[in-house]
Amino acid sequence: MEAKTANGQPPVLSINNLKTYFFTDLGVSRALNGVSFDVPYGRVMGLVGESGCGKSVTSLSVMRLVPKPGRIVEGSIIFNRGERTKDGYKVIESVEMTELEANGPKARSIRGAEMGMIFQEPMTSLNPSYTVGNQVAETIILHQDVNRREAMDRAVDIVGRVGLPNPADLVKRYPHELSGGMRQRAMVALALSCRPALLFADEPTTALDVTTEAQILDLMRELQGEMGMTIVFITHNLGVVAQMCDTVGVMYLGRIVEMADVETLFYDPKHPYTAALLRSIPHVGSTTKERLAPIRGVVPDPYATINGCPFHPRCDSFMPGVCDAAVPAETNIGDGHMVRCLLYSDKGEVEDNG
Amino acid sequence: MLNYIIRRVGYLFVTLIFVMVIGFVIIELPPGSYLEFELQRIRLLGGDLSQAQIKALEIQYGVNDPIYLKFWKWISRFVTGDFGESFEYNMPARTLVFARLPFTIIISVLTLIFSWTVSIVVGVYSATHRRTALDYTITVFQFIGLSVPAFLLALVVMVFAQRTLGLHVGGLYSDQFVNAPWSWDKFVDLLKHIWIPIVVIGAHNTAWLSRVMRSNLLDVLGMQYVQTARSKGLLERRVIWKHAVRNALHPLVMVLGMSLPAIISGETVVAIVLNLPTTGPLYFRALLQQDMYLAASFLVFLAITLLIGNLLADILLAWLDPRIRFE
Amino acid sequence: MTEAVPTLPREELIAEPVSEVGLMSQWRLMALRFRRNALAMIGLIGLIIGYTIIALAPFLGPNDYLRQDSNYVSGPPTPIVFHDQTGKFTLRPHAMAITTELDPVAFKFKYVKDESTYHPIKFFVKGDPYTLLGFIKSDIHLFGLDAPNRVYPFGADPLGRCMMTRVLMGGQISMTVGLLGVAMSIIFGSIMGTASGYYGGMIDDVMQRVIEIIASFPTVPLWAALAAALPKSSSTFTPLHRYFLITVILSLVNWTGLARQLRAKVMSYSNSDFTMAALAAGANDRRIIFIHMLPNAASHIIVVAALAIPGMILGETQLSFLGLGIMPPLVSWGALLKDAQQVSVVLQQPWLIIPGVAVIITVLLFSFLGDGLRDAVDPYSI
Repeated sequence: MEAKTANGQPPVLSINNLKTYFFTDLGVSRALNGVSFDVPYGRVMGLVGESGCGKSVTSLSVMRLVPKPGRIVEGSIIFNRGERTKDGYKVIESVEMTELEANGPKARSIRGAEMGMIFQEPMTSLNPSYTVGNQVAETIILHQDVNRREAMDRAVDIVGRVGLPNPADLVKRYPHELSGGMRQRAMVALALSCRPALLFADEPTTALDVTTEAQILDLMRELQGEMGMTIVFITHNLGVVAQMCDTVGVMYLGRIVEMADVETLFYDPKHPYTAALLRSIPHVGSTTKERLAPIRGVVPDPYATINGCPFHPRCDSFMPGVCDAAVPAETNIGDGHMVRCLLYSDKGEVEDNG
Repeated sequence: MLNYIIRRVGYLFVTLIFVMVIGFVIIELPPGSYLEFELQRIRLLGGDLSQAQIKALEIQYGVNDPIYLKFWKWISRFVTGDFGESFEYNMPARTLVFARLPFTIIISVLTLIFSWTVSIVVGVYSATHRRTALDYTITVFQFIGLSVPAFLLALVVMVFAQRTLGLHVGGLYSDQFVNAPWSWDKFVDLLKHIWIPIVVIGAHNTAWLSRVMRSNLLDVLGMQYVQTARSKGLLERRVIWKHAVRNALHPLVMVLGMSLPAIISGETVVAIVLNLPTTGPLYFRALLQQDMYLAASFLVFLAITLLIGNLLADILLAWLDPRIRFE
Repeated sequence: MTEAVPTLPREELIAEPVSEVGLMSQWRLMALRFRRNALAMIGLIGLIIGYTIIALAPFLGPNDYLRQDSNYVSGPPTPIVFHDQTGKFTLRPHAMAITTELDPVAFKFKYVKDESTYHPIKFFVKGDPYTLLGFIKSDIHLFGLDAPNRVYPFGADPLGRCMMTRVLMGGQISMTVGLLGVAMSIIFGSIMGTASGYYGGMIDDVMQRVIEIIASFPTVPLWAALAAALPKSSSTFTPLHRYFLITVILSLVNWTGLARQLRAKVMSYSNSDFTMAALAAGANDRRIIFIHMLPNAASHIIVVAALAIPGMILGETQLSFLGLGIMPPLVSWGALLKDAQQVSVVLQQPWLIIPGVAVIITVLLFSFLGDGLRDAVDPYSI
């Protein structure tokens, strides 16, 4: 069970063939259609993709917070509870998250204490009716054996550590008194208040301006090293990925289509979708004559079923008779570089959505 | 916070002046004057007055005074507690108003408490159990509650009680207690009677508020901070009651300003059917009989009750929502 | 997990729009959402039927609504059965005869069913003359008995007038009061709300205070006070005049809600990009209000109006119930319910409550319609 990974550390999170569907009046939407990845301790895993590709649903599935009418229908999510020692992570217990009751005592004892989450909208992710201190202390009281006073002291401490000025006074403020950047720092403080081993950051800087974004990213990097955290970083911004992540998974329509370490992915993308994504962003050193290449078409309706590779209708390397016939399987092309594309393997998936 | 309250009280007094103006207009609107009424009464009693006597009375009552002077006279008497005479009952309007108003206030406040408690519980239930059989049933009752006029509901309840239960449910007391001095038994008897007007008057408001509560809560449950609360590992119950309901409540407090007039309105009409010793029956009778000083006094006092209620609602809202307090 | 979703060929998948929803106009989208809402459609169809019925009221009712039958004062509804004297089943409904009998104990007349006499109900029979829709003179009723017998399906009121025809005629007042009143509120509320939201400042302050003052009165007592100030009926002030003024009074208090909502909408539009764009393009205030803002707010105005109608109908009902609303010879449901003020009367003559059923059904249908419209216009408001 204790599989060692690239950096010699055990995985904190190990997802295998995860399928989360939404059963709506309009039909079944396959938000996650077989997602697998491991996140080793101390690493930052990036999930990138266009809107609706299933990035956020992945994190919600792990936290067991998938809203109705969504449901995890298949697959496994192993969360390794453990403690951080000098030479790394020592796994104490492997928890199969999918077997837990979503609102049961075990899932709740993990949520907030060992898994934290930062959301995209700092403006709405804090409750307007309670002070920052109240909201941070609430998590501390819930998961640690402390009284209100001590919890408040710890809240002041953590609020100071995320770089908010005058923490003793700030914990008495209400969210609407803070700027967007400050609120996101408060949210980071709230998510980190119990030193979780695993942190999901769901587009934490999308709603912020560039300067604030850089500050928050720096802060997260710093705290990650300091606290020994493992982060799953969800974004659609490839620049942020380059800055933050060690490993990157590119998602398309509920699947990871390519996964590699960040250097490999940027300099040697294999999947046509990854390549197209990279072509669609400007980069320093490009000449003015070079045009940015948008990806043709739009992300298909989540309810529609596409035969073969889900990306084939928009793909530049489309091979008639091949790509529209079989769904490509995960292919390892060496050095932890995984790609799902029939250009690299003719192996289609046996069971599928057909 | 104190500043806020002072400002609201300031508004209240400005509004009060206009309320008095409207009260005055109501007195002046119907054709005929207080004096004509008096003359008619005297003639009816067989007396007759000479032209000179009428002239003297006209001066005494200020019939031909300019309108602003009339207003000034009325309002300056009003603030000293002299609301004028009721022609019909031949006694000061003040006595009648103060005999009736407390019951209206008590019943209205109790109705408010009743409908708030029920609508919060029902609203939270139906929002958290959306699209279940009980949610649909609640919706049906809400629609019915919104469509049945309160006086009709009162009639139906009375007829039902009398016909199938053989109970006489009108009034606030049983016959033997109506004129009895206050005692524990009388209080118990009051409790036995008062719940019927409360439920009848509150039905409409409860149906409306619980729908408001349901849709507010559904909105709030979709908010990011509810997800944040869940991601902390809180019990679902605590997520709902501490994080969601608290935020769903303040639109409810805001509509308090609208539900209070509705309750008092409903109370006045229902009182006629249920035979309650409140302002309603006397007020509408005064209007029908053109007993204008009495009618105006009632209307002004109902408005004052409402204004104070709204002030309390504003203060409650400021306490609930820090964003308003620091405005 | 096999789904019956058709797989599109590659070309169609590339073609941008995935479904045609994205291409529909705002109004067509609303109409689509409205049609999908079963309750809303019940409301709409029910109201169309309701208005048709009240338009044909004198034809559908078996008697003249003012005709007093001194032999049938407070008479109960005529029992209608599907058999004749012999007890044989007939397709044609029969009205059981009712005779009066002197109760020797109470010394009052009481009505007794005559189980041996049945009158066949005829369709399109000659009866009391009436004028339909204000210009068609006729004396043919949808159903009735051969003279001199009469049928009273809903019984008779304390003056011996046919309740069914009165309820139908009352609908003509009760179901139009809301429409007229709301129409007036819309005009008033739109002007005030738009002006105050758009210009802000002094105008806004004054209007806010005015609304606050009106809102500081309990509705029905204020309505009643205003109604009490209307002149008594006379040759120059007919009940019809009174009816119109009552709708004015109802809307005088009711416009504030609409104005308030419109003000909020207009204020949010004032800061929106399309207004900025129009301003930058040199549009004047009038153009911005009428070309850019009101069309955007139109759907909201309609929703607020539809949701305000039930309040108006209930308002009229309460006023007339108190004796301060509609005056005879006009009838409205509230005016009819005035006879049912006393519980003891209702216990004796439960059919006097029938107008209340009509009120409830109408208000319910309008609520369905209003809710449906709101959901169609703004599906996210729940």
